[in-house]
Amino acid sequence: MRNALRYRAAWLLPYAAAGVLTFSLVQRSIAADDPRAWLDKMNQALATRNYDGTFFHLSEGRVETMRIVHRVKAGLVTERLQSLDGSGREFVRNHDELTCFLPDQHTVLVEPRQVRGPFLGSLPRFGSDVDQFYLIESLPDSHVLGRPARVIAVNPKDQYRFGYRLWLDQKTAMPLKSQLCDARGQVIEQILFARLEMPETIADADLAPAVRTEGMRWVRQGASEDTAVPALSAYRASELPPGFHLTVSGTQTLGGATVPAAHLVYSDGLATVSVFVEATPAVNSEANDSTGSPPEPPMQGLARVGSGFAFSTVVQGHQVTAVGEVPAQTVESIAHSVKSFGASPSR
Amino acid sequence: MSEQIREQVSAFLDGELPSSETELLLKRLTRDVDLRESFGRYALIGEILRGTESGVGRYPLSRGFAAGVNAAINGEAAPGGSPSIQARAPRWWRPVAGAAVAAGVAAVAVVALQQRTVAPSVRTVVPVMAQNVAQSVAKPKEALSYTVPAVAPADESPPMLPAARLTSYVFAHSRYSSVLGQSNVLSGLLADADEQAPPDSRAVELPAVNRTVGNDAAPPRSSRDPRIAP
Repeated sequence: MRNALRYRAAWLLPYAAAGVLTFSLVQRSIAADDPRAWLDKMNQALATRNYDGTFFHLSEGRVETMRIVHRVKAGLVTERLQSLDGSGREFVRNHDELTCFLPDQHTVLVEPRQVRGPFLGSLPRFGSDVDQFYLIESLPDSHVLGRPARVIAVNPKDQYRFGYRLWLDQKTAMPLKSQLCDARGQVIEQILFARLEMPETIADADLAPAVRTEGMRWVRQGASEDTAVPALSAYRASELPPGFHLTVSGTQTLGGATVPAAHLVYSDGLATVSVFVEATPAVNSEANDSTGSPPEPPMQGLARVGSGFAFSTVVQGHQVTAVGEVPAQTVESIAHSVKSFGASPSR
Repeated sequence: MSEQIREQVSAFLDGELPSSETELLLKRLTRDVDLRESFGRYALIGEILRGTESGVGRYPLSRGFAAGVNAAINGEAAPGGSPSIQARAPRWWRPVAGAAVAAGVAAVAVVALQQRTVAPSVRTVVPVMAQNVAQSVAKPKEALSYTVPAVAPADESPPMLPAARLTSYVFAHSRYSSVLGQSNVLSGLLADADEQAPPDSRAVELPAVNRTVGNDAAPPRSSRDPRIAP
């Protein structure tokens, strides 16, 4: 009986397939001009394609040349980002680890369980909450690397976050050029491809770091085993710029640090800010004594980090540092608002 | 920059340089620091010009843009001049304290992994800049229930953000940074390595473990919406 049913239904298959195809074609033509659809396509391309490219990273009139190699093989992603300008610095990410080779520092930094997207990035799927803070629109088509490109802008609606302009290859949706902009549309940073290949296969050799690691110091940073830090886990930002909310919280010990840090992640759906809370050396002198080095003075102030900012201050005897690819005022205000919501906040 | 290279760069930025020539230009740029600087300036000029004539520049040309053009042109005339760096930077980066800080601004951009805890640290930003931030914040577009906290006065103790610590923070943050942002953060980390520094002798090897993800992690007393927190 079952067999008979299956048999009878089989003739419907071609029709069903045609129906699905027609439906998806219609869907596609509707969605074709939707800038969000292009962002999704870009996501897809960045995550699933093989690519090998060289790009310029322009920031403040400085230019760095970098090579990116991205391979998806048997469902596993391996990726390598390499500076070509002499420092020899490299990042290699495989499915569970991000390794940062810093030959100029004789150091290798390892961040385990790297579950994030590719180096070149992809946007998260936009929920309606993102609409509240960003305007996503198509701009007139253009050319990059001699290829026709779709231009998509993600504009921030206020001054608490940055925006993006993306030039996506018409054919593959790969970002050939991207700009990070402030709320006034001024370009802060730019990534511009000089060469981009999308080969069927990529050799292991292209993904192996060129750095010789003999004699280098390996520093592994990750979540702390010591979960008993109630004083730390009671810290939260008490006031946030519109749209930001807590997405991740945990405790980890950072490379080079002697005390564990609470790590809080706040996001508006696109931009993220990390907040680190650590006992200041004075509070935890024991840990410092064991290393034999003098306690560091507390940090205070603002610094540029990549395309974003870091701001550090001291709250209730704890060092609070906010870091993110957001305007200075965003990290500053978040850091300033951090306080303990616990019964015994600081000891 | 020779006329020929200028034309190449221009064609490249317009997306019209043949790939064989692009390859050549790329090799040159990788080798030649000065050329890279000129290229950076040129890219900026191109961006501004393009911005005025294409739809990409539907954004109003701000004073910053005009300043950027001037600075870029001046910079082109006198390569390596720090004023161009200052003027091109968005307002809150623009230091008041002169060339030393300008160098700092360029350098901080990258968080070199360095142990410079004491140092006349070029890689930190003076509080003066915080005042600039305050100015730019002064007139928020939309009045929301959010207030910008007071900025530290300029005479407070000097800022101390050792680059090595910053690198650790950025590295840890990059896991969670929005993935588009991540590329910028990591590229930034990769970018700078002008100065050598001794390795951090206090580094420790640490095991990886638990991290809670999501709102479940919120401590009992805290509110998920910080705006209504006690």
